[in-house]
Amino acid sequence: MARQQGWLALILALAIASAALVLNVPPPLGLDLQGGSQLTLQVMPSGAIKKVEKEQLESVKEVLDRRINGLGVSEATLQTVGNDQLVLQLPGEQDPSRAAKVLGTTALLEFRAQKPGTDSEMQGLLKLKRQATAALVQTEIKDSTDPGAADSAPVKIKAEELAKALEALGIAVPPGSSQTESLELLLSTVNQKIVALFEPSELTGKDLVGAGRQQQQAGSGWDVTLSFNRQGGEKFAALTKNIAGTGRLLGIVLDGRSISEASVGPQFQAAGITGGAASITGNFTADESRDLEVQLKGGSLPLPVKVIEQRSIGATLGTENVRRSLVAALSGLALVAVFMVVVYRLPGVVAVLALALYSLFNLAIYSLIPVTLTLPGIAGFILSIGMAVDANVLIFERVKEELRSGNTLIRSIDTGFSLAFSSIIDGHVTGLISCIALFALGTGLVKGFAVTLAIGLLLSLFTALTCSRTILRVLMSYAALRQPTYFLPATQLPAKAS
Amino acid sequence: MNAPEPRFRISRHRRTAWLGSGLAAVLSVIGLLVSWLNPGIHAPLKPGLDFTGGTQIQLERSCAAGGCSAISAPDIQRALASLTLPAEPGESSPNLGNASVQVLDQGQSLVLRLQDLNPGQASALVQEMQAIAGPLNPESISVDTIGPTLGQQLLKGSVVSLVVSFIGIAAYITFRYDGVFAFLALFTLGHDVLITCGAFAWLGLIAGVEVDSLFAVSLITVAGYSVTDTVVVFDRIREQRTTLADLPLSEQVDVAVDATLTRSLYTSFTTLLPLLGLIFFGGASLFWFAVALTIGIAVGSWSSIGVAPTLLPVLAKSKV
Repeated sequence: MARQQGWLALILALAIASAALVLNVPPPLGLDLQGGSQLTLQVMPSGAIKKVEKEQLESVKEVLDRRINGLGVSEATLQTVGNDQLVLQLPGEQDPSRAAKVLGTTALLEFRAQKPGTDSEMQGLLKLKRQATAALVQTEIKDSTDPGAADSAPVKIKAEELAKALEALGIAVPPGSSQTESLELLLSTVNQKIVALFEPSELTGKDLVGAGRQQQQAGSGWDVTLSFNRQGGEKFAALTKNIAGTGRLLGIVLDGRSISEASVGPQFQAAGITGGAASITGNFTADESRDLEVQLKGGSLPLPVKVIEQRSIGATLGTENVRRSLVAALSGLALVAVFMVVVYRLPGVVAVLALALYSLFNLAIYSLIPVTLTLPGIAGFILSIGMAVDANVLIFERVKEELRSGNTLIRSIDTGFSLAFSSIIDGHVTGLISCIALFALGTGLVKGFAVTLAIGLLLSLFTALTCSRTILRVLMSYAALRQPTYFLPATQLPAKAS
Repeated sequence: MNAPEPRFRISRHRRTAWLGSGLAAVLSVIGLLVSWLNPGIHAPLKPGLDFTGGTQIQLERSCAAGGCSAISAPDIQRALASLTLPAEPGESSPNLGNASVQVLDQGQSLVLRLQDLNPGQASALVQEMQAIAGPLNPESISVDTIGPTLGQQLLKGSVVSLVVSFIGIAAYITFRYDGVFAFLALFTLGHDVLITCGAFAWLGLIAGVEVDSLFAVSLITVAGYSVTDTVVVFDRIREQRTTLADLPLSEQVDVAVDATLTRSLYTSFTTLLPLLGLIFFGGASLFWFAVALTIGIAVGSWSSIGVAPTLLPVLAKSKV
């Protein structure tokens, strides 16, 4: 009897500890339950790198971590998956488009000197760029206001010039494109042509130590300020010294697009621009300048990334999911409890107690590891309840059989437990094999299911074989409860030998 | 020890059992084939967003007390076709003309299925939908995008994990029992998985039900349950080999099935109870998952009583 009491004390202690743990540290909820966005980023091989390796993934992650910190998104997490994927979770964020844009661009910043003797070509392109930009602003204004009220004259003139410019540059506009689309196409082609007029450069974003932004004194645009490290400062001085006073421009190129072209005055001919600081005047909006600042501070991505998966769910939908899953789990449990008590009588009550402990222990382990609860995870838990009940059913059916064949109550209980053991083990092991396969080979959602089902299977071995047994043995120590009719209807018991 | 007289002799009904299972299996195969030959599906099961790739946007309209203003799917489709979303540099803007639109709950919620959009485009589309079908409830929007390569990856992952778990289970049964038992356990497992798939092939053909990664999960779970159920009966047969050694195998099987029958039925029933909870209260996201498990577990319980044990004497005899 002492052994049973020892077990009982242990089970009670575990139950109290679990309850305390679950109440203080509730299991974390997945995004499908609390609302938010999840993005999967695929790191793409590029240039000399044909296959993405673990180290490259880590270096991409470092850059993205810095950018996420810069964005100031609370509670965002970034995890590597496999060899070439990253999963970004943004709890509470329903529109991840900005984060996706900031994280997804390479942000390779280069400072380049204009090739000698390309002045006239450059001037032509710059003029076209100014016109296209101005026209684009106009069409945007026109698009957003009543088209009848807007003065469409300047746009009309541009339309003819636009067609001419497009033709001159050899751009085929896809049929059915709007004017905005044609203008954007023109602008990007012009920017590419401008980039081609610059020499390759040694000075890149790698040589930066910091970035900031400031509002332009005249006008509403924003500038992005840069500060170089010592090496970068020297390179920048050398670069500006080379072109100062020659009329050649300094191009600031971001990801292969020219974002700003600056002239360097003759006063810098002697030493170049020293001091290790520069600013980009690109007429940025406040958001654009902030995003660029974050990207430049975080450094450029060693490899390009692409968003291959997005899952966003609103907060209301999330709480609705939680409510529905809770109702499903509780109603399932309640029905099972009623069934067990009706069919198995006293042992049924014991099984219900064991099941309650089982659910409590499960939640405690979710808090402890911690296991993030997702919808498939809850499904895994609900299913593992079935498995836990099965163990009890196997045992109690065996106990009943032993009672029917005339054994004493205590003996029947002991034999029932030991005979049911092998099939319980087989069932649980095959279940665990499936879980391992799912966990090792499955993706995020599937993994959540495999984890809760596996935890459930392991716990159900403990609760069925230890908790049920201990509670039953302790109850059997009270003579009043040692009635075979608490286990079986009297009609099924063998007639007592008188 | 006297052989207990079984109340129920499964061997007397084995032809009926085989016929029933055979019919269900043939129907399943026909369903899978018809689905494959169907030009609209072109696969044994109708693949969902997880496997095809694409973007699915779910919107809930916040309607006034009088109900939602009428809105029709073709209207939305036309409105979508005229939209231009921001394109990525070097790529053309996505064509929304072939979007599929579903209007649910008397016009209260909308499901759009499109080619895969990047997060910026998806967010722009949601903005545009405000004008088309607004006002929308901002807290009840869900956006799912699966890139085309990821879809392939998910499909491959699902198939590989299915196969690996089958092999693992087979190895374990061979180790614990013997080859015939392992073969039969796998045979019934195949039977259960086939019929579950067949049911979903028909559901896909008739009701347009699609399979996703959760369906693959449910198949693996069905496989695990099927083996557990079968193993309980086999465990009993093995246990009786010494006590009932003088009886023919088919008699031993009858005794074992009879002894474990209550357990098999009760266990299936108690597992189905929480699943029914999921079906009735669990909401849309887990509905078909729960249905797949319900079908699979019901079939698995049947096959562990009617298929695996009745085939055992046949196979064991031919082996001797």
